[in-house]
Amino acid sequence: MSAIALPARSARRIGPTGVVMLLLLPIALVNAVGFLWPVVNLLRMSFKETQATGALIDTVSTATWATVLSDSFTLDLIANSVGVSLFITLLTLVASYPIALYLHRSTGLWRTILLVLVIAPLLTSAVVRTYGWIAILSSQGLIANALLFLGITPPRLMFNLTGVVIGLTEILMPYMILALLSGFGRLDPRFEEAALTLGATPWKTFWRVVVPLTAPGMALGCLLCFVLAISSFVTPKLLSGGRVFLLATEIYDQAIVTLNWPVAATLSMIVLVLFGAALALYTRALRRIA
Amino acid sequence: MDERPISPALKASALVMFIFLLAPLLVVLPISFSGDAYMAFPPSSWSVKWYGAIFADKQMTAAFSVSIALALVVTVLSLLIGLPAAYALVRLKPPGAEALGSLFTAPLLLPTIVLGLAILLVFAPLGLLGTFQGLVAAHLIVTLPYAVRVLSTALATLPIPVEEAASTLGAPPLTVFFRVTLPMMRSGMVSTAALCFLVSFDEVVLSLFMTGPRISTLPVAMYHHVEQQADPMVAALSVLLVFLTLAVVVIVDRTAGLAKTFVK
Amino acid sequence: MIRTAPDEMAGLKQGEGFLSLRGLTRRYGPFVAVDDFNLDVAKGELVAFLGPSGCGKTTSLRMIAGLVPSSSGHIVVNGREITEVPPYRRDMGLVFQSYALFPHMDVARNVAFGLEMRKVAKADAAARVREAIAMVRLTGKEHHRPSELSGGQQQRVALARALVVRPSILLLDEPLSNLDAKLRDEMRNEIRDIQKRLGITAIFVTHDQMEALTICDKVVVMNHGRLEQVGTPLEIYEHPKTAFVAGFVGRINRLAGTASGGIAEAAGVKVAAPGFTGPVEVMVRPHRIVLSAGAAPAGGDLHQLSGTVARATFAGDILEYEVEAGGVLMKTEAATRGGETVHAPGTPVTLSWRPQDTFVYTAS
Repeated sequence: MSAIALPARSARRIGPTGVVMLLLLPIALVNAVGFLWPVVNLLRMSFKETQATGALIDTVSTATWATVLSDSFTLDLIANSVGVSLFITLLTLVASYPIALYLHRSTGLWRTILLVLVIAPLLTSAVVRTYGWIAILSSQGLIANALLFLGITPPRLMFNLTGVVIGLTEILMPYMILALLSGFGRLDPRFEEAALTLGATPWKTFWRVVVPLTAPGMALGCLLCFVLAISSFVTPKLLSGGRVFLLATEIYDQAIVTLNWPVAATLSMIVLVLFGAALALYTRALRRIA
Repeated sequence: MDERPISPALKASALVMFIFLLAPLLVVLPISFSGDAYMAFPPSSWSVKWYGAIFADKQMTAAFSVSIALALVVTVLSLLIGLPAAYALVRLKPPGAEALGSLFTAPLLLPTIVLGLAILLVFAPLGLLGTFQGLVAAHLIVTLPYAVRVLSTALATLPIPVEEAASTLGAPPLTVFFRVTLPMMRSGMVSTAALCFLVSFDEVVLSLFMTGPRISTLPVAMYHHVEQQADPMVAALSVLLVFLTLAVVVIVDRTAGLAKTFVK
Repeated sequence: MIRTAPDEMAGLKQGEGFLSLRGLTRRYGPFVAVDDFNLDVAKGELVAFLGPSGCGKTTSLRMIAGLVPSSSGHIVVNGREITEVPPYRRDMGLVFQSYALFPHMDVARNVAFGLEMRKVAKADAAARVREAIAMVRLTGKEHHRPSELSGGQQQRVALARALVVRPSILLLDEPLSNLDAKLRDEMRNEIRDIQKRLGITAIFVTHDQMEALTICDKVVVMNHGRLEQVGTPLEIYEHPKTAFVAGFVGRINRLAGTASGGIAEAAGVKVAAPGFTGPVEVMVRPHRIVLSAGAAPAGGDLHQLSGTVARATFAGDILEYEVEAGGVLMKTEAATRGGETVHAPGTPVTLSWRPQDTFVYTAS
């Protein structure tokens, strides 16, 4: 039997390490220039100062940190941001839980449709969704006109904290729902059936079986939403009309309007510290649950 | 699958929350057909004039072109940079591959407001602010982690024996990659492209830091527009954007569906 | 007659085969997956690599294919050293356990792939593809995708794809293990027929002793990365060189004993054991034992052991007993002929077997 020759070719060899380096070079460049260096630079910037004229002083000092941490405005800002973010996280959890549980229990095409409805807002720009909330909450909006129709004087729902809380809660719900769903894997319907046959009421079953089993998903969702809430900027800015001051909006103003980069950098670092604290809390909570 | 009855209480609360979740998207459609000069709900008259207004608005149409071009360039670059990286990390497994993978996806962990500021401070002295190149670079930083993650998963789930079979049949490594690996990754590539496109097209925070009077993206232009006056034109734009998103999602679904028939 | 044991390395001929492995070794850190593997395969032979999972048989096959680099040793095909040659220039045909068909190509394009890589002219290639598809009886399915085919059909496509390039050696990696039992027998014979018809040298990796014994010219038994025995199916079964081979290929009864002065004694039975001293294992296959009720008839030169029936199992084709004798449970089996009495548990019986059916090994 005649064999068929494989085409001979002289192999040009670069070692396996060379290949890996070559393949990773582009992403390493983007990462270094667009992430590592900017983050290091940001930390460095927080240890610079600005003169009263606004000029940047290239120095290494803790003056900006000291100013920021002793200023009652920024301290209030931090406390407010944390408080509002926690409150929004809690609201998001309460609003998302029924949807997630319902999704977990539905099957087939219906489940797919519902899942698409959850993901659709996620794929829609925050600007669009915030605009939708303006249409609902403004003095000419859906709620105000509905209340006026019923003869009730509508309360002020926009350009204040109320609007920011409502809008951000909705904006963050898809993240919470997906996080909850990912944690619901452990929720086998047989556990609930077992509890029910053992004589627990549905309410008791929910609190004693369903909630503990879904706690890890809740913890993950809360971490995610807290972090997103404290760093979100578009929705608070548009729904408050610049009347509510939060860390993220202040960072933007300091960076773009006031042009005080050291203060903006310091506030950013504080956001990262809060982020780290939330992560640590989450890890501890997860260990307690497990 | 056992069908468990869902309690009426859960059904009712889920319904209420779904309405809450979808409300801002649902109100946008009727408002976009408003005939009023300002935004009000319900509108007092109906027309399609705000759709016309979009195309008359030079700033909006320019921003739209920038956003489309930007999203396309960013998507192509994300695939071109992300695919070799994913291949190296998943298939060649260099020492420290896991740490490198975490490093390359780390930009996603950083709040965009912080990342935006960090990039601003570095890009400003380089003269990249308010330029198309600057926007491309900034968007790449957030799309690449998604690209690497999705492509890595796609690569990791490919059956290696199929590539080995090609190799024993006489295909050199590059031929194996282009004739076997890449075609089998089709659905992963489409998902990655769609994800990168949407992330770039919707990105607003980073863009706010990077844009200037000379160049703006659609979300940024919309943001500034809403900041000044929330007129129904934004609703009309939003409707168009929702349909664009839907189109991308449908393309992905069709392709993924097709892919299922191949790979099974 | 007495089977002796494993002091010399299994029967390696010194002459070069069509395929020769010399000292082939694969280490993963401290773990030795394949240890000093030497083998010669003649042209046209079908050789089985047989052993339990993790014995190194698949690693050996993958080293021959070039998919796993060897740590040391040599692979020579037809006088050409290929140890360092990459897989795509080795000219091997490999059939995978998982079939590994290209999911995005139809049957014809799957089969044509290797010809395309070899830059065979289009018309010539088309004819060969047609011929190969006909050989595996899939004519008419040329434009089906792999996902539209059954497991058996997919495996036949894989076979055609590997054979159409006329490889120097056909490598089969557990090709039948994903098929159901009936299809497995059918495919087994089909593979054997095609291999004989083409006269191609082939290696067949399997953990199933039936597959190895029934279709292969030569069986290589491996365990823990080491070669235990090489021989024809008959040699492997009738003259197992090691206790492992005796136990792995076919069923076996084991009796612990002690040897001295050329005689081993186990459970009161004395068997010849020249060259053994100290603890030994005496083995005999269940169906070589004759079971008779009552006390032992004076059995000439048969080995005999008395005991009582612990369990009797009538399985239609065969009648199986577990007999408590000499402190262990001895299994026996015999083909049913009709009319035999099934002895109830507790019945005293005698087990007899011929000396040449007795294996003795140094206890491990």
